[in-house]
This record gives sequence, structure tokens and C-alpha cells, in this order.
Amino acid sequence: MSTYSLNKLLRDVNRDPGIRERFFKDAAAVASGYDLTGEERHAVLERDVTTLYRMGVHGLILRPFTILHQMPEPDYLEAIRK
Amino acid sequence: MAIVYACAGSHAPGIRAWTERAPQAQVDNLFGGYAAVREGLEAAKPEIVLLLTSEHWANFFEHVGAFCVGRGASFEGPIEPWLRVENAEVKGDPEFATRLLEHCYASGFELSFSHEMKFDHGSMVPLSFLTPDMNVRVVPIMFNTLATPRATSARCLALGRMLRPFLDAAPERIAVVATGGLSHDPGERNHGIIDTDFDARFIADMTSADPDRLSRYSDADLLKAGAGTLELLAWICLAGIMGEAKARLVAYEAVVPWATGMGIVSYDRAA
Repeated sequence: MSTYSLNKLLRDVNRDPGIRERFFKDAAAVASGYDLTGEERHAVLERDVTTLYRMGVHGLILRPFTILHQMPEPDYLEAIRK
Repeated sequence: MAIVYACAGSHAPGIRAWTERAPQAQVDNLFGGYAAVREGLEAAKPEIVLLLTSEHWANFFEHVGAFCVGRGASFEGPIEPWLRVENAEVKGDPEFATRLLEHCYASGFELSFSHEMKFDHGSMVPLSFLTPDMNVRVVPIMFNTLATPRATSARCLALGRMLRPFLDAAPERIAVVATGGLSHDPGERNHGIIDTDFDARFIADMTSADPDRLSRYSDADLLKAGAGTLELLAWICLAGIMGEAKARLVAYEAVVPWATGMGIVSYDRAA
């Protein structure tokens, strides 16, 4: 998997209730604990689903991550198909 | 004969998390199918469910093995707060898991093992239908169906054949449950597209008395029907365990709102 750290951050938010809670309070602080490029960090903080998918976030990490953000399925699919 | 029951079923999260988005007739057919296999499983009074399952980055990430046996005393799940399946500590059986691993290693199959496995929808959905009271011990074998490279169909079939003598000799009453598939591409560009022709072919092969037909599915064949279709490696392993016993189709529905070809098969004769 490319963009390993980026996937790791989103996967940790999906999987770990403590990290998830901290992420929803202060995403930037949680993101600073991961080895992200400037572009990756920006895409996470902006919840830029199109860019996250293009960067190589796995569908089974990105879709659960967006479900946590209450993103409707049609919006998700439109974003990744851009 | 220690295998007292065997079945396989799909675990797309929508069946629990957004049940009501599917047409009622499809919901009824699949819930009815799961109720029927639950009845069969309960009547067989298993002490252990050997769960051939896949996961979605709940455990595999930093470390990935082709097959990983859950050796913990319990498994917490589901990790998804949105699944609408109640949180549970599912009891494991470290002693049985250890015996199973010893048999595997003595037979040339060095499976990974984990003491701290978590369950996501891949395990909690089928358990919520089959053992909703979570009162049967579960020993999972997680299949890596995500990261490349992955085990081949032939290897999964061989894994099943290797497990059979161990299960036959075990003193416990064992239900073998495989889960995953069928055609689906979750979270990816073809999310919602279901390859019903593939599903019909696979079910025909799964319900034939010739499990070797299943070893012909290449990684690319499965992937073509959607990334989640690789989960059928667990079904293929079940076919290896069950050998000449024939599976029967219980229910199949291509459920677009759940983005998955949903199937359930069971074995009339235990083993």
C-alpha cells in the first residue's frame, strides 16, 4: 500500500475509539503524530475525499472514515469517481 | 465426526447498518436464510465455531499474514460504531486454537497467530445472525483478502483439506462457518456494481461435489468481480474442509443498496 502513514492515520481513527475521539476534537493535533507530507496532511484536515482516494487511501479505510463523518454514499462515490 | 455443522454466508455491513434501504423481499429472503442456518447450527449443538473470515484493516496493517489464527481468550467487536450490532466480548478458545496451530505446523502450514484480535463486521455480522447470544466459543482464522500478495485459491483449498483430519479427531463438536463475498467492490469505484454472472458461476462451483473446480479461480478472476470478492477464499477453504459433501444454496440476492451479491450456503450432511 502506498501512502502508508496516511492510511495508518485514517485506519486508527476508524479502529481506535480513543484516537477517534481526539481526532474529532482536534484533527491537526492527532495528524501531527503521523509522518505525513504537507499535501497528505492538508487533504486529511480538509476531508478532501477525492484527493485522499487519488493519493491511494484504500476504499475499505476511506469509506468507513467517511461514514464516521456522516457522508452519504452517493456523495462519497461522486467524490472518488471524479 | 467432530464437524457437526457447516455453512457460509455474506457479511456486507448494510445487512445490519442500513437494512431498510434494501427491497423488503430481498431482506426477507436473506434474513430467512440466516434464520434457517441458525436453526441448523443450534440443532447441531456446537461447542466451538471455527470461523473462516476476512477483515477490513481491523487487525492486519502493520503486520499481514496470509492466514491468522485468533488465539485470544476473547475478541471484542464490532470496531465500527455505526454497524448496529451490539458490542460484545466474544469468547475464544486458546487451548483449541493452540492444538489447531500445532496440527497446521506439523502439516506444513505455518499460520500466523494473534493474541489480541478484534472483530469487525466481517465476523460480527455472521455471528449476529448465527449465535446472536454470543454463547458459543469462536476460534477465527482471518484470511488476508486485502493486501497483495494473497494466498491462492489452490492454497486455501489445501488449507481446508489439511484441517479436516484435525477437526475429525477433535473431541469438541465444531461448526465451521465461512464468511465473505460474493461479488462486491466496497468503497472503490465499482461500489454498487454486482457481477451476478460471476456469482452464479461461483455458487454452481461451490455447490458441486468437485471442490477442485474452486482452485481454478485466480486472484485476477476474483478481483475482476470486485475487490471484496477475494473474501471467497474463506468459502474455498470451507469447501476443502468439507471434501465430497455437497453444499446447498440457501439464499442469494444481488442487493444493490448493500452493494453486494449476498449468498448463503449450508451443508445438509455435517461432514
